[in-house]
Amino acid sequence: MKDTFRGGVHPAGRKELSRDVPLREFLPTGEMVFPLAQHIGKPAKPIVKKGDTVLVGQRIAEADGFVSAHVICSCSGTVKGIEKRLTLMGSMADCIVVENDGQFTPAEDYTQRQDTASIANGDILYRIQNAGIVGLGGAGFPTHVKLQPKNPELIRYVIANGAECEPYLTCNDQLMRTEADAIVEGLELVLRLFPNAEGVIGIERNKPEAIEAMQKAVAGKARMRVLPLKTKYPQGGERSLIQVIAGVDFPITKLPADVGCVVDNVGTLYAIQRAVVYNEPLYKQVFTLTGDAAAKPGNWIVRDGASFAELLQASGGIKDGVLLKKALVGGPMMGIALSSLDVPIQKQNNGLTLMTEDPNEIAEAEMTACLHCGRCTTVCPVGLLPQLMADAAIDHDYKRYDEKLYGLECIQCGSCTYICPAKRPLMQIFKQTKAEIMAQKRAQAAQAGGKK
Amino acid sequence: MNTMLNLSSSPHVRDRWTTAYIMRVVLLALLPCTLVGVIHFGVHALLVVLLSVFTAVLCELVFDKLCHKPDTWKDGSAAVTGLLLALSLSPSVPLHLPVLGSMFAILVCKCCFGGLGKNFINPALAGRCFLLISFGSAMSNFAVDAVSSATPVALLMNGEPVNVTRMFLGLTNGVIGSSALALLVGGLALWAFGFIHGEICFSVLAMFTLVIGLFGGQGFNLPFLLAHISGGGVVMAAFFMATDYVTSPVTRLGQAIYGCLIGLLGGIFRLYGGTADSFSYCVITGNLFTPMIDHYIVSRPYAFTKYSIIQQARASGIPLYKRIPRPVLVLTVIAAIAGLALSGVYGMTKDTIADQERAAQAASYLVVCPDADHFETDEALDKAIADMNGAVYGSGFGRVTINEAFTAIDAAGNVAGHAISVTTADGYHGNITLAVGINSDGSLNGISFTELNETAGLGMRVDEDAFKGQFAGRAVEKFTLNKAGGSTADDEIDSVSGASTTSGAVVNAVNAALDFYKNTVKGGA
Repeated sequence: MKDTFRGGVHPAGRKELSRDVPLREFLPTGEMVFPLAQHIGKPAKPIVKKGDTVLVGQRIAEADGFVSAHVICSCSGTVKGIEKRLTLMGSMADCIVVENDGQFTPAEDYTQRQDTASIANGDILYRIQNAGIVGLGGAGFPTHVKLQPKNPELIRYVIANGAECEPYLTCNDQLMRTEADAIVEGLELVLRLFPNAEGVIGIERNKPEAIEAMQKAVAGKARMRVLPLKTKYPQGGERSLIQVIAGVDFPITKLPADVGCVVDNVGTLYAIQRAVVYNEPLYKQVFTLTGDAAAKPGNWIVRDGASFAELLQASGGIKDGVLLKKALVGGPMMGIALSSLDVPIQKQNNGLTLMTEDPNEIAEAEMTACLHCGRCTTVCPVGLLPQLMADAAIDHDYKRYDEKLYGLECIQCGSCTYICPAKRPLMQIFKQTKAEIMAQKRAQAAQAGGKK
Repeated sequence: MNTMLNLSSSPHVRDRWTTAYIMRVVLLALLPCTLVGVIHFGVHALLVVLLSVFTAVLCELVFDKLCHKPDTWKDGSAAVTGLLLALSLSPSVPLHLPVLGSMFAILVCKCCFGGLGKNFINPALAGRCFLLISFGSAMSNFAVDAVSSATPVALLMNGEPVNVTRMFLGLTNGVIGSSALALLVGGLALWAFGFIHGEICFSVLAMFTLVIGLFGGQGFNLPFLLAHISGGGVVMAAFFMATDYVTSPVTRLGQAIYGCLIGLLGGIFRLYGGTADSFSYCVITGNLFTPMIDHYIVSRPYAFTKYSIIQQARASGIPLYKRIPRPVLVLTVIAAIAGLALSGVYGMTKDTIADQERAAQAASYLVVCPDADHFETDEALDKAIADMNGAVYGSGFGRVTINEAFTAIDAAGNVAGHAISVTTADGYHGNITLAVGINSDGSLNGISFTELNETAGLGMRVDEDAFKGQFAGRAVEKFTLNKAGGSTADDEIDSVSGASTTSGAVVNAVNAALDFYKNTVKGGA
């Protein structure tokens, strides 16, 4: 049985730091900050104003258009205002600020099971949309959009992504161990939208307990199976999973639905279950606080809007005698480096990795000349030639970069950059080149449009 | 908590492998071979190795300092170059040679082109070739203990017997790094741990073996092949020289092509060349092709292979007809409708067309047999024609076929003659079909064309009376074509000027009809 894709790298997993620490709920205090743009798509529009009283699970900003998502309040308290605040992307953005009263009074009772057997498919989607659910794998794409492809009957696989290939992170591992039945119920609900699809739960083999728990949960269920996967980065990438399960590669211009697949993170499926069965919107999610600089790495259930700094403090802070050099939202392969820990946790965040001094860390490693060793080519999961792409990018030969080398197909997984013995910042070059080529193309399109 | 945090784009961790690490591993892989060489050849060999490595590193250090470049001597690449150069030198070279060779390799071939990663040929090989050209006799003196003798490869190239086992172990006279076994151990280890590309080293060896086996004169004889592989630095070139990252192609296909090129050249040079040292030149030639291979041999991403595109179409689940772009679909439908309409019209008019053709045929028979009232079929003739089954008639008439033949009956009911339809395929533009009328006395009554597509103004003029009128009334067995014109003899036909091909074809067709008349109509009747 095929269990992996071509290429890929084996960064040190470091999951042992937190993998066996059970999930704990973190209840923040003080000010909570809710950015209006946490998802991919248009920012939400606020529907509360200064002085309003809000409750847990209450919608405080409404989705603006189809590709957008509601923002849900995760505490009870009073709206302090709508202000510009620093967010994890390092810039100031519009946020709703709520003074937390510490009571966490829910807007509704989220513990009562609702009847789901009789609800219509449209209702399932409606509840998902209402709950403000976005992809919890990291990108934050609105889930109700993803679940409404043009031809639902052509979807052959609904893939539950439990690979968690990102080093350090373990919260999905814990979630699968403890909430296997809920995840499977979420998957069942999604499968109802796709009559011809099979549900495949992909989990890397470094999580044997999670595989066992999920296998137990799917036992006896129709149209569902667990697929143990090879431990390799980026196994949890959408394209890698589809390559393994559906056996097909597809260009970056296409969507998974174009090749008959829908991919959802197990965390998202759990949120779907909560939303459809308990009517509970997405305002908290599983989260791993880890890293070699963390005193007590562990898995948490965190509330959106809380500050990373407060969570760190609650978890036990920085390890004594260790210097915190870098704080990453997410893991070390895809994570975003924070300039300050005092920024709010967003819906799609699933980890905070605190790194200490490391000679191999990118900002420290010294770049040397390209050896042409070709290791980047061997590890690229897309089948690109990063070395030649970098040459073309540095020469500003965008025609070769785009048309001959298919440079825009890069999924920015960072495997080439990880593996490069010369420590060249390949992915950074590719990101920038892609931005420049796209800008050029837009300019050309605008010019062509203007001539008409 | 008030520390400054590092900011950078992901990924934030890197693999342990560095350039220096790779170079150290390569040095390690060369160690067995170096040890065998030093133990076998003695102290002088050790001095050559040390001097070569030391000079190489020193040159890089000095160059970096002088040019204010970052220290690159530490990465070990200069040491690898120095060691590779030393291993490809004779153990008895004067000690200034490794120094000069290393200087040339590092300063000229590497540093002057921009340092590591920028050189276009393998520096160690360039250094070696520099020495070969500059110090030919010293370089090719493989004397051990002052006893000079030819190297095994030189013997092999002269067709003399060699001790394969000693060659393979490296216990003969030759370069310092001549132990094929030790090189193989190091090289295979490098390949197994992913440091060098198997596509290169194995295609070099395979191609070289193939050439030696096919053209070496001894077939695929194992000791013979092994002797060739063990000598002349083939293993060294395949595993340590050709696989040099900087000067070899990037894609797997490119690497295989590059490897095959080197192996092919190596085999040819070995069998037909004049020197035993030729492999250095082969690898350098391969190096020179690398930029070109990298430019043109570019592999597509997985999603753009033909196989993947088909897989994607299948996976999309959309039926085939919906996947075809609309304009293509519309055009196809229009084309189909037009085609159907045309074939319908043809179907409806087919009989009419055939009738008309038959009428034209009949009219042409009347032209050539003006006395006829009607024409009758003759079973014997029909059978004779059917037996020919459309084959070329007789010989000497070109590609002529007899189509049909009728007996002309006059108003009184008597046989007035015969009409024969013949086709020749020798026209300038395809077939010419004509009816030939022959009177009962055997004289020609005339000819008439029913199919003629010749060049207007030239070949088409055979249909003018000036040409076709010539046949009427003549009673001969066979006509000949007179290209010059002005014929007087009865059996001569003047060619249409400038259309002798068409004229000749027509004459031949008429001759065939006459022959058919004489042999079948008269003879059979």
